[in-house]
Amino acid sequence: MNDLVFAGLDGVLILLAYAIVMLLIGYFSGRGDKTLHDSLSNYYLAGKNLGIVALFFTLYATQYSGNTIIGYAPTAYRTGFSWLQSISFMTIIIGVYLLFAPRMYVVSKKMNFITPADWIAHRFKSKSVTILAVVLMLWGLGNYLLEQLVAIGHAASSLTGGTIPYQVAVIAFVLVMLIYEWLGGMKAVAFTDVMQGLVLMVGIVIFLVGAVYLVGGDISSATQYIATNEPAKLGVPDMMTSINWFSMLLLVGLGAAIYPHAVQRIFAADSERTLKRSFSRMAWMPPITTGLVFVIGILGIALIPNLDTTGSEQLVGLMANEIAGINGFFYWVMIIFFGAIVAAIVSTADSVLLSFSSIVSNDIYGRFINPKAPEKKKVMVGKVTGVVAVGLLLWIAWNPPATLYEIFVLKFELLVQVFPAFVLGLYWKRMAAQPVFWGMLAGAIIAGVLTWTGYKTVFGIHGGVIGLAANFFIAVVGSYLVPLTVEKEAELKKIDLA
Amino acid sequence: MEKKQIKEPIRKKWIWIALLLIVIGNVPWYLPIGSYEPLIFGVPYWALIILAFSLILCGFLSWVTLKEWDIVEDEEEAEKRGRVNE
Repeated sequence: MNDLVFAGLDGVLILLAYAIVMLLIGYFSGRGDKTLHDSLSNYYLAGKNLGIVALFFTLYATQYSGNTIIGYAPTAYRTGFSWLQSISFMTIIIGVYLLFAPRMYVVSKKMNFITPADWIAHRFKSKSVTILAVVLMLWGLGNYLLEQLVAIGHAASSLTGGTIPYQVAVIAFVLVMLIYEWLGGMKAVAFTDVMQGLVLMVGIVIFLVGAVYLVGGDISSATQYIATNEPAKLGVPDMMTSINWFSMLLLVGLGAAIYPHAVQRIFAADSERTLKRSFSRMAWMPPITTGLVFVIGILGIALIPNLDTTGSEQLVGLMANEIAGINGFFYWVMIIFFGAIVAAIVSTADSVLLSFSSIVSNDIYGRFINPKAPEKKKVMVGKVTGVVAVGLLLWIAWNPPATLYEIFVLKFELLVQVFPAFVLGLYWKRMAAQPVFWGMLAGAIIAGVLTWTGYKTVFGIHGGVIGLAANFFIAVVGSYLVPLTVEKEAELKKIDLA
Repeated sequence: MEKKQIKEPIRKKWIWIALLLIVIGNVPWYLPIGSYEPLIFGVPYWALIILAFSLILCGFLSWVTLKEWDIVEDEEEAEKRGRVNE
C-alpha cells in the first residue's frame, strides 16, 4: 500500500495506544487464574466458559480481518457489482454451522474436545485419518497466518507514512500478539477481540460516511459515472461469474465454518444458549461489514478511477488520504480507522495462532509424541511451537505475494477437504475410516494440483470444490463397500442425541 | 421425567429446501446478462434483487438459529439456576 500522506507520528501514537490496550487486556485476562496454564481446556478454550459478549466478538473479529477491508474493497473496485457475493458467502457460513454445530457442541462437551482432530480421532479411530486431517488443518492455518502477518506490515507501515518500516511494524505487532496470547490464551484472544471487533465495526461505518461525503452525498452520481465509463461493472454478470459465485458460496461457506479456530469457538461456548445467540447475531454481520466494504469499493471506482490491478490494491489507502483531507475530524478518524485495520488483522492472526498451537499441543505432541505428559507441559510445547512457527512464517513474509485474494482462496482449497469426515461423520454411522482417508487425500491432491497448475477454476468452479466433490464421492461409495461391524455401531451410539 | 422433544436443524428438511431456494435466488444467473436499467436511487435493479435475497438469507438463518435449535439449552439453563441457588 502507498505511504499515506496524512499520517506520520500521529499514526505511530495511535498504533502505540492500540498495542498498549491489547497488552493490558492480555495481562488482566491471564492474571488471577492460576490454573490457566495447567490445562489445555483452560488455556486454549478459556475453560469452555465464554459468555455471549466475548463469544460474539471473538467470532466476529476472527471471521472479519483487516483484510476484509484492504482486500475486498479493491475486489469490488475491479469486479463491480458482482462482488455483492461477499455478503452472501459470509452469511452462508452460518448456514453451514447449522449443519453440524448443534450436535458438535453437545458431543464436544460430553467428550471434552480441545481440537477438531479430537473429534476426527474419536469418530474414526484411525491414525492415518487423524494425521492427514491434522496436516491439512495446520497447512490451512499456517497459510492463513502468513497472510495476516504480511497484511499487518503493510497496514502499519502505510499508516505511519513509512515512519515505521514494514519489517519493524510486523515484528512489533507480532511481539504484542505473542505476549498477550502467552499471558492469557483464549481468554486474552477473546477479550482483545471485543475491543478489536468494536473498532472495526465503527471504523467501517465512518470510512463509508467519509467516502459518501466525497462523492457529494450522491451515490447515483457514482453509479452514473460507472454506467458511462465502465458499464460492465454495473450490469448483470455473465454465466461464468454466476457459476463462480455459487462455487464461492460452497468453498467459503464450507471452508470457513470448519476452520479449526472457528470450530474451537463452538467448543469454547459456555452454553447452547450463548452459542445460538452469537450465531444468530453473526448472521446479520455480513451486510454491515462486507456489504459496506463493497459500497466503499464501488464508490472508489468513481472517486479514484483507472487504477490497474496492482494500483487498485492500494485503494483503501488512497481513499483514506482523501477522506483525511476533508477536515480535522476525519483526519483523526482515519488514523484511528487505520489503527483499527491493524488491530483487526491482529485479532484474526491471534486466533489462528492459538488454534495452531492447540493442534500442536493436543494432536501432535499430546496424541503421538508424548501422550503421558502433564497438560501443563503440553500447553508449553504448543506455546513454544507457536512462537517458532511465527518466526518461520515471518521469514517467508519478507517476500509477500502481490495480491491478497489469491492466497485467500488457496487456504480454503485444502482445508475444506476435512469437511466430509468432520460433518458427514457426525450423522452417518456407516462412514468408514479408509474411504474417508482416500477421499480426503484425493480431494487435497486434486485441489492442490489444479491450483498449482494454474487451473484455479474450471468453468468458474474452484479446484477446491472439484476436489471436494471427488472426496465426497470416494468417502460415500467407499463406505458402502466396507461392512459395518456390530461393535462399531454400538460405539457410535454415543454420538446420538435422543 | 418425560423425554423432552429436542430441536435440531439438520432433521428439518424444510429448512434446507428453503435455504437452497434463497441461495438460488441470491445468484443473478436468471437475469439478462449485462442489463442494469432501471437504476433505482442510482443502484442497478438487479443489485437490489440480489441484496433483498441476501437480507432474506441473513434473516432466515438468524431466525432458524434461534427457533429451530434446542438440544440441551433447558437442562443447561436449569443447571445454571441450580448452581446460583446453592
